Amino acid sequence: MEFVSLPFAAGLVVVFVLYYLFPNRRWQRALLLMASAAFIGYNSLVHLAFAVGITLFSFYAGRLLARKINRRSAPFILWGSIALLIAVWIAARYAVGVFPLGISFYTFQALAYLIEIYWEEEPENSLPDFALYMLLFMKFLSGPIERADQLLPQIKKARMFNYEQTVRGLMTLAGGAFMKLMIADRIAPSLDGVFVDVHNATSMQLLQVTMLYPIQLYADFAGYTLMAIGIGQMFGFRLSPNFNRPFTSQSTTELWRRWHMSLSFWVRDYVFTPLSASLRQHGVWGIRLSLLVTFIVIGVWHGAGIAFAAYGLFQGLLVVFEQATARQHEWFQKKAPKIYAPLMTIRTYVLFALSLLFFRLENTREVFYVYSHLFDGFTTGIKELKLGLTDFYWIVFGIAVVLMFAAEWAESQHSLIDRLRRANPLVRWAAYFVFATILFAFGAFGVENFIYTQF
Amino acid sequence: MTKEEILQQLNDIFRRVLNNKLTLTYDMSAKDVDGWDSMTNLMLIGEIEKHYDIHFKMREIVKLANVGELCDTILKKIA
Repeated sequence: MEFVSLPFAAGLVVVFVLYYLFPNRRWQRALLLMASAAFIGYNSLVHLAFAVGITLFSFYAGRLLARKINRRSAPFILWGSIALLIAVWIAARYAVGVFPLGISFYTFQALAYLIEIYWEEEPENSLPDFALYMLLFMKFLSGPIERADQLLPQIKKARMFNYEQTVRGLMTLAGGAFMKLMIADRIAPSLDGVFVDVHNATSMQLLQVTMLYPIQLYADFAGYTLMAIGIGQMFGFRLSPNFNRPFTSQSTTELWRRWHMSLSFWVRDYVFTPLSASLRQHGVWGIRLSLLVTFIVIGVWHGAGIAFAAYGLFQGLLVVFEQATARQHEWFQKKAPKIYAPLMTIRTYVLFALSLLFFRLENTREVFYVYSHLFDGFTTGIKELKLGLTDFYWIVFGIAVVLMFAAEWAESQHSLIDRLRRANPLVRWAAYFVFATILFAFGAFGVENFIYTQF
Repeated sequence: MTKEEILQQLNDIFRRVLNNKLTLTYDMSAKDVDGWDSMTNLMLIGEIEKHYDIHFKMREIVKLANVGELCDTILKKIA
């Protein structure tokens, strides 16, 4: 089920009302579990069967691991469980034919949970609480990938209706819908039209879609995440942030602290740190090797094949380069701070855009074709650059992108929602009305798919 | 060796690895120190292990909360 759909909106309202009708923990937990099961099993019960199976397995494996923690069998239980979870994940993705929705996200939650128990954290004793941690519907499809010690304590409390919190949740949800409907879905068909057949595109078109794709992907995925966080807020949960103005980054290293943060922090804590710790006698080369492996893991988490590995390797090589030239970067920054910041921000964006071609085209030969034809010539007429979108919608798209970045900048200075909540009621309601009107008038409804639900 | 002496020695190691002129206190953690991130952390751990001829367990590396706990762990290991 998609967030931007009528069944979801209707279901959300019903569950929301029932949820606060009886604000007691057992009821709320049972309701959320039922709602999550319906959400996951809506299209196919196979999705639900996979999710429940992995949940049960992780719960009991965690308890077994905790009981044997100081015995010699502990590492075998841990590694056996990890191997099994990864094997199921790979098999489900590539062998079974139906790809179970959300599996990459909840498998990573399960892995983190078991590794933490191995590091002597307490396992969860309540199966229903643990199941909700794994299956909670608003973060099920595409994250954020939550940590047990963040989400489980929240699940254990009853939540009373809170008007302020609900309004804030709705505003966050609306912000996400804006990014999705006004930007990502508006431009998606035009970019898809070029990506589907790069050999028939002009050089200018290739350059154009390459540079626009990060914006589409960002508006799509960060928009989805904001919607998930907003819905979570409405139900009294604080989910993890996933993006923090990634395109302001002045290095690829910084970008990965701001882009898909719940994934990048996950690989930092459960891949990079253990790996670099075990290679620490090799000094800086151990760390560099760990970085490369970690980013390749990020790549192949998105899909099998050389192209996804290349996407990760591309990032890894950039981060290693930045690590190796940290002093030169520092020197340059001190010498020319005014040139350094914009230059490095643009450099980071362009390199990210180029790397995303591996991710988008999923075929290294096509990527190299695009690379070698980006600067063939600038002879394209203005008509080709419209990519099938009318002048009017290019303007709407452009304004929406500017508004998105401006709102994010303003948010980084001072909470926009706070400011709006303190405004005069007339101004506030006028703002809600205008925002909703714009969204319904100019949003691209009916596309209904998020890029990250395929992972 | 006292905890105070360990803090002093750690200060030298941190200054050398991170290449800056910081002054460590017990309640400092990675987020308070410029340049102390997931990458330099392992270089620091490696240098500390060499200096005291000790070995940290994986759990200790991932769970150490601040400089004070790091000093305590080192004290325990060299005792």
